[in-house]
Amino acid sequence: MTMTKNNGANLLATVTGIALMTVFSIFALHAENETSLLILLAVGAAGVFVAYKSGFVARAGQGLQAHRHVGDLCIVSAFAAMVLVFRNDHFALLQLATVLLYCVVCIGLNLQIGYCGVMNFAGAAFFGVGAYTAAVLSTHTQLPHLLVLLAGGFAAALIGSVLLLPVLRTRGHYAALVTIAFGTLFRSFLEVNDTLGGPQGLKVPGMQILGWELSEGITVFGMSFSFYVNYVILAFVLLAGVFILTRRIKRSWLGLSLDAVRIDETAASTFGIHIVRWKITAFIIGNLFAGIAGAFFAMMTSFVAPANFTFGDSLILLSIIVLGGIGNLWGILPAAAIVLLLPEKLQAIQEYRFLLYAGAVILILLFRPQGMFPRRLRTLIPGLGTLK
Amino acid sequence: MNATLLECRGLTMKFGGVVALNELDLDIRQGEVLGLLGPNGSGKTTFFNVVTGIYAASAGSIRCEGRDISKLTPQQISRTGITRTFQRSRLCLELSVFDNIAIGDHQNLNNGLWFNLIRRADLEKQIRDTFDRARALAKTFSPTLSERMLQPAGSVTMIDRRRIEICRALISRPKLLLLDEPSAGMTHEETRELMDDIMMVRERIPGLTVVIIEHEMNVIERITDRCVVLNYGRRLCEGTYREIASNADVQEAYLGQS
Amino acid sequence: MDIGFIGQHIWNGVMLGVIYAMVAVGFTLFFGVLDVIKFSHGDVLTLGAFVGLATYLGLQRLDVMSPFAQLIAVLALSIVSMAFLGALIARYLVLPLRNAPPFITLLITLMVGTVIRESIRLFYPNGSNPQAFPKLLPTESWHLGSFTLRVDTLILVVVGVAVILLVHMLVNHTRLGLAIRAVAQDSETARVMGINFRWVVLATFGLGSGLAAIAGLMNGLYYSEVYFGNGTMLAVIGFSAAVIGGLGNIYGAILGGFLFAAIQIATVVVLPLPSAYKDVVAFCVVIVLLAFKPTGLIGEKSSERV
Repeated sequence: MTMTKNNGANLLATVTGIALMTVFSIFALHAENETSLLILLAVGAAGVFVAYKSGFVARAGQGLQAHRHVGDLCIVSAFAAMVLVFRNDHFALLQLATVLLYCVVCIGLNLQIGYCGVMNFAGAAFFGVGAYTAAVLSTHTQLPHLLVLLAGGFAAALIGSVLLLPVLRTRGHYAALVTIAFGTLFRSFLEVNDTLGGPQGLKVPGMQILGWELSEGITVFGMSFSFYVNYVILAFVLLAGVFILTRRIKRSWLGLSLDAVRIDETAASTFGIHIVRWKITAFIIGNLFAGIAGAFFAMMTSFVAPANFTFGDSLILLSIIVLGGIGNLWGILPAAAIVLLLPEKLQAIQEYRFLLYAGAVILILLFRPQGMFPRRLRTLIPGLGTLK
Repeated sequence: MNATLLECRGLTMKFGGVVALNELDLDIRQGEVLGLLGPNGSGKTTFFNVVTGIYAASAGSIRCEGRDISKLTPQQISRTGITRTFQRSRLCLELSVFDNIAIGDHQNLNNGLWFNLIRRADLEKQIRDTFDRARALAKTFSPTLSERMLQPAGSVTMIDRRRIEICRALISRPKLLLLDEPSAGMTHEETRELMDDIMMVRERIPGLTVVIIEHEMNVIERITDRCVVLNYGRRLCEGTYREIASNADVQEAYLGQS
Repeated sequence: MDIGFIGQHIWNGVMLGVIYAMVAVGFTLFFGVLDVIKFSHGDVLTLGAFVGLATYLGLQRLDVMSPFAQLIAVLALSIVSMAFLGALIARYLVLPLRNAPPFITLLITLMVGTVIRESIRLFYPNGSNPQAFPKLLPTESWHLGSFTLRVDTLILVVVGVAVILLVHMLVNHTRLGLAIRAVAQDSETARVMGINFRWVVLATFGLGSGLAAIAGLMNGLYYSEVYFGNGTMLAVIGFSAAVIGGLGNIYGAILGGFLFAAIQIATVVVLPLPSAYKDVVAFCVVIVLLAFKPTGLIGEKSSERV
């Protein structure tokens, strides 16, 4: 049986690790000028290096595995702390919520590409499908907004199926072709379509769920909170739900079948795994996530325009999952934070961001293809096999 | 006389101009261990691929227990109880040993969305149950393998990887097991051990029929009830090992090919 | 219907078809040899055009006014530099990853394309705007009734067809071509037979990229302008064309290129939708075609053995 002392040390590492990361993130988001941010980043990089070398990261990982509930509690508290600190900073909150929503899309992409091996180069386009669905439904119908979110997801899932089903019996590059074309043409299609607002886009009313008016600020214990806090909290709930669901998929026969399809279709079919069924399932679920996130994004930003859903944005989504580690769910959040927030803070690189990200992805794929956080072996049940 | 499990008539497989199987007639009897022999290129692996549905036969028929299976997909064929190993090892090396073996039981596991996502307690029970069965099966082949169930399949030895493939084929308690050169790369000792283990498992699965492609003749002699020799996609001769070994045509096919 | 009007459109289609076919042949060559979709192909095309443009401007600076010399220099520099770039990309980015899952190679070539595209946009003076491309070919037009034939398009089509025929001859009647076909069919056996796999791959990528340069120049000469974003759409079209014809099959790529152009022209002429829809419609037709003939109209190369 593992020693209690080790256990305690692991737990401490986990809690401390999460706390440190939260503090770091708060300082980073707060950074007013570029020098202070660069200094902070340097300190952070050094800290990460030390953490890896000293085994701190390994301990923290163990602690997280062994004490899931404590870990979950820490994460929720960390999040609450951030919300509290930035409670009146509209922009920081908006950025936070955007990062959370992009994480939702990336989890979907990871499911499609990392688990099942179905290529999807149109992540931003499906995100856009959800966004435009929300725009149209919330402006022209009285559909409750929760259902609008779902509808965004369904629209993305439906369009994805229509695109993919014809080519599923063929080899992988056809799925790539279809999604690349969709990702490239989506924006042009929207721009020539005046009913969908053309290049200027459409306005979208704010979200309202069961009487909770999300576009209004709230006051709690005498402290006032920007209305974006509502969206951030809800986005967090959405992310948590999607994360848990995907993790359940991974830790089940579903995840096993998806992996088998990705790794070796011939062997998988010989053992009864239905290739087309699993590919389409992964694709639909992934697109559901992207569509819901898109619908949410539209209602949060009160606006949709074709320029937000370009092929370049799809490539950015892919950079996030490559950076974080294909197939690894935990890596997505730090990767998304880096990819999305860095150019905002370092205005100098804003113009060069596509170039830099493309270059970074190339380097990663050549030299460390597993990304920041390599995908770990599946643990169907923690502790399986150690009982006897 | 045993009942016929698999009956092939006029089985032909063409790849462009190449005729890999040439109107092959072959019977596989229930419960036997059949050796499938023949020089390289005689169509043995192609035969396996056609039976398991990976290739669709150009002509001819295959009947399993009277039912025509020649047009079925690989998935449907596995449901009739036919499993196999591959000549070129096809494991998922990045997945664990247990994951690989569990894939073999895919048909019998519950793959529904609701079961896997919501009924987690029941899922856990099924996982544990499958784990125990997989581990017990692995243990018959190699106790060390059974201790490495949760390690990546790529981290075990080549021999153990072959054993994993065999376990994967056996875990669903099939009717017909097709082994494609299972002992390739093994020493004599390891081969003997492997064959003993396969025979032991065969006793535990009543009615299991085995067809084995092999080049090691001592193995064939020891474990097979009957042999069929293929040449150029046709059946050259059949009989017990003794009979076919002393057959002049067979000797010429193996040695005297021009 | 006015014959001249239809003729104009058909000629337009032929012109586009030649360009698309050239891009598609590149895709199909890369796929044939390495089982790889090199998505940076479109951006290499654009870069080729920009190199041509820069060469022309450089020649102007040096007071070289002979249109003949200009044309030769532009062609030579553009083709050679892109062939070299293609080989470099193959050597350092594609070959090392050839055992990785195909998604990785696709992604990396997409990113290479992005790097090229963004570099043009950021580093070429005024790169985010379309640049005027010089008229290096004779600018007369012949009028046959209501049909106006630009002489330069005639030259372009003839040259394009000639180039495609040359490639065809190269692949089918030379030793290099034989080596390429051998590697495409079965790279392991080809190596065993003594063919230098690496050189064949580099040569193929160089060849394909040189083709892209020519296509880029043709594109620039036809529209009299180049734009950093040209490449993405052309790559998608070239890829689709190669796929419709059957990946790995040169005749298929040529057929696919012309077919795609034909669908685009038909859309513009027959349907009442704005011309911006032509890509969308053409694309939908591609998907439908794939649904019925997944391995392409002529058929892609044989798949793996079990």
